Parts: sequence; structure tokens; C-alpha cells
Amino acid sequence: MCGISGAVGLNDISQALYEGIRNLEYRGYDSCGVALVNSKGLVLKKNIGGVEEFYRKENVLRHKSRIGIAHTRWATHGKVTRENTHPLSSSDGAFAVVHNGIISNYRFLREKLAREGFHFKSETDTEVIPHFLEYFYKKSKNVEAALAKTVEALEGSFALAFITSHQPDQIYCAKRESPLMLGISDEIKYLGSDFNAFIDHTKNAIIIDDGEYAVISRDSYTVKSLVTGQEIDKPIQKIEWDSESSKKGGYPHYMLKEIHEQPQTVNHALEIPASLTDDIVDLIVESDQTYLVGVGTTYYVAQFGQYIISNLAEEFLPAISADEFVALAKIDKGSMVLALSQSGETYDTLTALKYAKSKGAKTAAIVNVMGSSISRLVDKVVFQGSGPEICVISTKAALSQIVLLTVIGLKLALRKKLIGKKEFQKQIDQLKELPEIIHAVLNERSGFIHRIAHQYYKVKHWLYLGRGVYYPVALESALKMKEVAYVHAEGMPAGFLKHGTLAMIDQDIYSIVFVPPREDKELYQATLHSIEEIRARSGFVLGIHFDERGKNKDLFSEELILPPVSPLIAPLLQLVIAQLFAYFTATSLKRDVDKPRSLAKSVTVG
Amino acid sequence: MKAVILAAGKGTNLAPFSMTRPLPMMRVAGKYLFDSILSQLKNSGINDVFVVVGHQKEKLIQRVNESASNGLNLQYVEQARSSGIGNALVQVKSKISPGEYFLLIYGDTVAASNIFSKIQQSFHFFKCGVASICLPPANSMFGNVFLNAQMSITKIVEKPKGDEMGNYVLSGVYILPYTFFDLLEKNKLSMEKAIQEIVETDGLRASMWEDEWLDIVHPWEILTANRILMDSWEESSISKSAVLESNVTISGTVRIESDVVIKAGAVLEGPCSIGSGCYIGNNSLIRSYTSLGNNCSVGYGVEMKNCVVLDHTDIGRLSFIGDSVLGERVDIGSGVMTVNRNVDWKPVRVKNNKSALDTGRLKLGAFIGDNVVIGAGNTIQPGTVVAPGKIIPARYSITGNNS
Repeated sequence: MCGISGAVGLNDISQALYEGIRNLEYRGYDSCGVALVNSKGLVLKKNIGGVEEFYRKENVLRHKSRIGIAHTRWATHGKVTRENTHPLSSSDGAFAVVHNGIISNYRFLREKLAREGFHFKSETDTEVIPHFLEYFYKKSKNVEAALAKTVEALEGSFALAFITSHQPDQIYCAKRESPLMLGISDEIKYLGSDFNAFIDHTKNAIIIDDGEYAVISRDSYTVKSLVTGQEIDKPIQKIEWDSESSKKGGYPHYMLKEIHEQPQTVNHALEIPASLTDDIVDLIVESDQTYLVGVGTTYYVAQFGQYIISNLAEEFLPAISADEFVALAKIDKGSMVLALSQSGETYDTLTALKYAKSKGAKTAAIVNVMGSSISRLVDKVVFQGSGPEICVISTKAALSQIVLLTVIGLKLALRKKLIGKKEFQKQIDQLKELPEIIHAVLNERSGFIHRIAHQYYKVKHWLYLGRGVYYPVALESALKMKEVAYVHAEGMPAGFLKHGTLAMIDQDIYSIVFVPPREDKELYQATLHSIEEIRARSGFVLGIHFDERGKNKDLFSEELILPPVSPLIAPLLQLVIAQLFAYFTATSLKRDVDKPRSLAKSVTVG
Repeated sequence: MKAVILAAGKGTNLAPFSMTRPLPMMRVAGKYLFDSILSQLKNSGINDVFVVVGHQKEKLIQRVNESASNGLNLQYVEQARSSGIGNALVQVKSKISPGEYFLLIYGDTVAASNIFSKIQQSFHFFKCGVASICLPPANSMFGNVFLNAQMSITKIVEKPKGDEMGNYVLSGVYILPYTFFDLLEKNKLSMEKAIQEIVETDGLRASMWEDEWLDIVHPWEILTANRILMDSWEESSISKSAVLESNVTISGTVRIESDVVIKAGAVLEGPCSIGSGCYIGNNSLIRSYTSLGNNCSVGYGVEMKNCVVLDHTDIGRLSFIGDSVLGERVDIGSGVMTVNRNVDWKPVRVKNNKSALDTGRLKLGAFIGDNVVIGAGNTIQPGTVVAPGKIIPARYSITGNNS
């Protein structure tokens, strides 16, 4: 079991050849080698070890070539030694051969060739091939004829490829039983044991069948019969494959990948140096008035911050949507603006910060992209370290910002002596439990969320309802639904319902209610009361709650039940659930999840 | 990469259809399930395919031989005794080389699009063993795969207790290393244990499958498989040699094969598939998700909906066949009704050997095995199963000499 690959092109192919053989390493990897062509003739490099190790040790990429073949070996005949590693060359050095398969009559052929005066440098079955090629070439002075004659002598299985100094711009290959295919792109023609060798570059494959050989050069290929020498018209087969999507690991979309990365990103947020968040707390304490500023998702993050900092530290820091900032905020030298941005390039937020600076205010930001415009503009910056967020819809970056604002709220409460050190540590410890709980919920509840999303994906109107700190969670969750599934979803304080919106409730309006844990008594009771108002009008309610199954059964049409957690992290966990709900609704509707319409990753226009 | 299709199982729960064929030889949405798997494999870039055959192997061997010319290197391997998935898999050990990875497929699963491309993409990224996972269509106790963010499977709970777990399950498509055979042998050929061990030792990554997927376990799931495959159709095709008389109305996506005759006044509402040589009588109504095998005959004024009918089956005039599966060479007399719901709209139950299973379906008809004859005038209760070869006499309300 071995892998072979080859490439021939207009320019240097050494990198493509390297990637090709590395992608075939799964076929066996005890030794590895390549053959290239330079101005002096064939260059052979080989050694024992895996592909990466071999390339590094032998500094193979130093050699540039427009043509080359490579081999990764899993020894069948002969020990794992440098000598037994492919490519194997002919006595005169004019042919270099790689081979996958077993030549069953090789002992007989070796003896025959030995009698003709050929010396064998390896113990392999393969080495008979280059010697035969040399032998027959001397007679006919024709490479293709030598190939046909050689193959005639071989018994057993093979997929072989060779290059030769007689025709230094062509690769020859032939097949019987072992797999072989060509990859056809404009710049480079490839060959490989399977399409892993070239799929990153082209999806156009030609499958070589038993008893066929092919000659490929930088701008053409021909496939012929080994028996008759007749050219065979081979169709190009398009491989149903998207090499871009293989970069998502096993995930179908970056959005789901990033939702699943949240346990890590929350951990990263909790591990950033304390001095960074301390600096923000200093600024808040020193300033007469602090504004939290974001736009889109980060505006809802700012709203969450407004609630959590008010709850924890009894400090009212207004959240303002960055695009409304200039119209609304009163800024002077005593003001401070804390901006939130994933990309650090958001036009509206940048404009708000510039305005604040022009009025002499202090500025700070929580951003995910280092070196971004916002990070360079502000006085103090916190890098949240969530790693690249590729999906246009923000999930992991937003949750990390929410966690950081919660930490800032706790630190502010400690500074103001509203809580003691012990209580502070207890709350931080609760936050530290969040990653493990998210991980467990993703692993044990995804199926339920999927089932409900798949059952109700045709719903046209959703109300997202929450009270207190659950209100911004409802807002952000509704935005996810709008952004990714293009479904009308409206976030609203649950108490707002009876001031008009209840009139809308009928069988076409569906509600999602973020129910707090029971420890949060007043909020819990008030939220249940709002649900009763909807149920009284026969409205549908999906409850996301922490109670045991069956309790308050009559209240919910559907329920998503979460394990009991502390009130500090409950809304954060619910946000994760809502992200998944929007995601599964979008996949049920066959939306382009990672690149939704009318949205760009960083909105850099006004 | 080499692929291994496991198709030796008895599929006991799929009686009466599994009694006379291996499941991959069911013709669903106009195509053998086996052929659907092969074409998806081919389009995913696979060349070498080994099929493990056992139960009712002759039909599959014949199909393997017939299919060998379509560009795949196709071979079958026999499993002598039907004794589990692990035993079936080790039959191909000699076909795989040490150090090699191979694609493993359970022959009783159906996916709406190319699940094999998807898992190879994941393998291309991870370069180690990969299991395809998916969310089952309903909250059922399939098992539960636990993952970390890097898609490493951390544990598998086969039968979760209670109803508080619902997550990804193994979907019966894997890319595994040769060393997996050693794990199987070490674990007395228990697939379950060998998978557990590879999770704990070498590691197994997951490839999430989000498109529709189904493990066909019960006969009514043949209808689901039929729907999944038909929903993936993008265009209609009508063979040149098909004859459509006047006033034949066609809507939706249809596949009409060679030498079909559709008589005047017939209405076809796609998606539906009419196999080669079929005859559709005057004024018949063929509604969506109907799959007719080759050489079937449908009499005058018959209504059909959501049903799978295998080759050489005849349906007599003025019958109704709905939400049902009919085997090969079934002879349905005239005026036969497959009643497809209970009067109280309770879910239909299907009786297997011992108990009546709740299918959860409000509409479901009958499951009629190969070579059954159903006499004229019969009314068949929802969820009825008829074993192969049974002859059910006609029902008359008037007989003899009534002078």
C-alpha cells in the first residue's frame, strides 16, 4: 500500500507536489521520495520517515522544478531503508519510477535482468521496472514503446509513474489493478493514487482504467491502451467536492463550528490579564459618565452590559447604538466611551469614537482583531482573544464580550465595596463553570433544539420575550434569527406585551420566552405571568427554562429544558441555545448560513 | 480510497420485504438503493468497492455483476453466516492493506445528497478515522455522540437513559484505519466495542451531516426513504420510447422510463417514478411520491399516492393504493382499497411477529410481500402486513344462482 503523485506545469510545481503527496500519506508513510528535473537532468530525493519530516530533513522544497513525481511508501517487499524507497532509477539514471502495487514475478524478472548485466540497488519488486525501461528504450529509442514492452513483462498489480531525461517535460503512467487518476487544471496536470493528491487544485478527474497508460505534459494529456496503443477518449469526471468546506473540519458551516468553539472562547476571555479589565474599571470610576457603544449585535451586547453592570454594580452606563451616538450622547471631557466591536473596523462605531475623542472624552474598546482601526484609536483596549470569526453572523465573539462585561461589572461592584472579595471570587467561579455547561448542553440538547427548529421552520413571525437582563438576550437572539434565517423575529421586554402587542397574538404569531431560573424569584414570576397572557389568547409559546420537565406544563407549547445553573450564567446559556435555534431554522430553510444576504463581516460603510 | 458496503444483514424488522431480498435491492424512487449508493460513491471519487453479501445474496451478486461495467471496480465478499456487523466487516480484511484507510457504509442507510463526499472532505482535513454523525429526524433513543470543539468524539452513549439527551448519532458511514480490524478481533467482533475502543485510543473525529438521512429499520421507513430521494430530484425525464396518449396531465418532477404506456386521461402529480414497461390505464390518478417498478400494470381509474411498488406488480381497476409498499409480482384485483387512516385519527400501528408497533403516522396503508394475490373487492386495514406468497380470496356480496 503506497501513494503516488505527480505534477507537471508551466511554472514551479514543487509546492503542489508536496501538498499532493502529503494528502496521500494516509495510504502509508514509512518512507518517502520525489524525482524532479533540473537543468542537469533528474534529481532524486528520498529518505525514511513521514512526508513532512522527509521534506524538512532533505530541504526538498529548495529544488524548483516544472515536473515531478513523488511516492509515500508502506513497505511490502524489502525493509524500510533509504535504498528501498521510491523513486527507483535505472542504471543509466535516465528513468525514475514510482510504483504502488506488487509485481508478483519480480524474482524471475530480477534474475533475467541480472543475466543482462543489470545491478540492483534495492530489495524491491519495483526496481525491475526502471531497468526494463532502460533496456527496451535502448532498442526502440521510443519511451512509449519501452513502457508497453515493460508492462508486458510484469505480472501482478501496479499503478506506476515515471519521468525520464529522454522526454523531460512529460510524465508517463500506467495502471493495472492499483488505483490511478489524473487531475486536469489549466496550469498544472496532476496524477495521483486518488483525488486527495490534487483535489485542493481541481475537481476535474480522469480515472485511468486497467490496461491503460497516460502521457501528461503541462498543456495536454493522452490516454492510450497498453495493448493496442490506440488513443482512448476519456470523459472528465467532476468530483462532487468542495475543498473550501474541508477547512471547516467536520462541521457543515463556520457558524456551527464557532457556536461549538464557545466553551474555549469563554475560557480565553476569562484568562485575559486582569490588568486589562482593571484599566477599564479605572476609566469608568474616573469618569462622570460612561457610555457603552456598539451597533448590530454589539449594541445588544452593550445593552446586556447596561443591565448586568446595573444589577451587579448599581451603576447606570447607558448603551447607545453607535449610529445614533452623535444624535443622542452628551459628551465632554468627563465622559468615557467603551466601544464593542468584533472586527475593530465598524464604521459607525469608529465614527462615534472619533466624535467622542474630538470632544475630549476618554475612550476604550473590547475588540477581537488586533491592530484594527478601533484598537489603535482608543486609549485602552481589551483583546478578547476569541480567534478568527469567519461566519458573518457573530456568535462566539459576542458571547465573549458579554462575559467580559460581566467581569467588568463584578470588578466595579468589588471596587465600590458592594460585594466582598469572597463573594467576588464566588461569582467569578460561577462564570468559570460556563464553558463546561455550554459544552454539555451542546452535546446533550442539540437534537432537541434541532427537532423544534425543524418542526417550526415555516413560522413567519416570532416574538422573543425576556425581562430584565433576559431582555437584551431576547434582542440578540431575535437578531440571529433575522440575520441568518431571514425570518421576522422581534425582541421585546415581556412586560411590554400588554401595552399593545398582545393584540397581535394569534395562531400565526409564535413566541419564544426566556424564563429565568426560579432563584430569580421576581423575574421568574413576572415572566410566567407574561406567558399566561399569551396562552390566554391561544398563542404558541416555546419556553427556554431551567425547571424540571412537566412543571408549568400548561404554560408551554414546546419547551427546551436546560440544566439548573446560577442566575449569573443562565442568560448566557440561553443565548447559546437561541444561536443554535436560529442556525437550525436557517439550515431547514436552506439558507446560505455563513454568507447571509445583505450583511458583511465588518460593516465599514456609513 | 476503497469502500466497503455492508449488505449481508437479514433486516428482520423489514419483513415482509426483507424475507425475499437484501434491503439494498429494494427499488425506491425508481432505483435500487444499492445503485443510489454506488452512484454517490462514484461521484465522490471512489473507484474500488467491496460489497459484503449474505442474506439472499444471489440477487445482490447478480446486481454486482451487472453494475461492474459502470466504471467502478466492484467485488463482492460472502459472509457465510449472518452473525453481526463486526463479523461482516472482517470478511474484507484481506482486501485492505496494512496502513490503509477505507470507507465503510451500512447498506441500510439513505442520504439526500452525497454523504460520502462530505466524510472524505472531513478526512482530508483530519487525516485520521472519521465517523459521520447526524441528528435523527425525531427524538429517538438512537445513542448519543459527545464531541469537543475539534470534533473529536469523546464518548458514545449507546442507549441514553431518560429523555434528557438528544444529540448527534452515528449515521453508519465511517472512514477507518486498517488497525480497526485488530480492534474488532480483540473485541470479539463487536462493532460497538471496537468503535468505543478506537474513540478511547487512536481517536475518531466526527463529520456532521445536516442533509436528510435515514436508517431504514421498519417497513414504513421505505416510504420515508422514497420521499427523501424524490425530494432530491431537480428535473424530470421522460424516455423517448414512452407513449403518452391524449389528455395525460403531468405536473411536478416525474421520471418516466422506456416503453411506458400512459393511457388517455391519466393524471400524474410529481414527484413520481414510472419504471420501464409500465402500463397506466385510462383516467388513473398517480399522486406524489408514487414509485412504480418495472413492468407494472395499473388498471383503469386507479388512484395511487405515496407508495412504493416493486417490479411486475399489477393493480386492478378502480383500486386505491396509498401510503403502502407492494412487493414484486403482486396481483391486486379490482376495487381493492388500502385504507390509510383510522377513523379516530390515532396513529396507525403495524403488527410484526409479536407486538403492534406505533408508527407515529396518522396515515399509513398496507405492506404486501412478493407474489401475493389479493382478490377483488378487498378492503385492507391500515397497518396490515401480508407475507410473501399469500393468496387472499376475493370478497363477493352476491354469489351463486340468485334466480
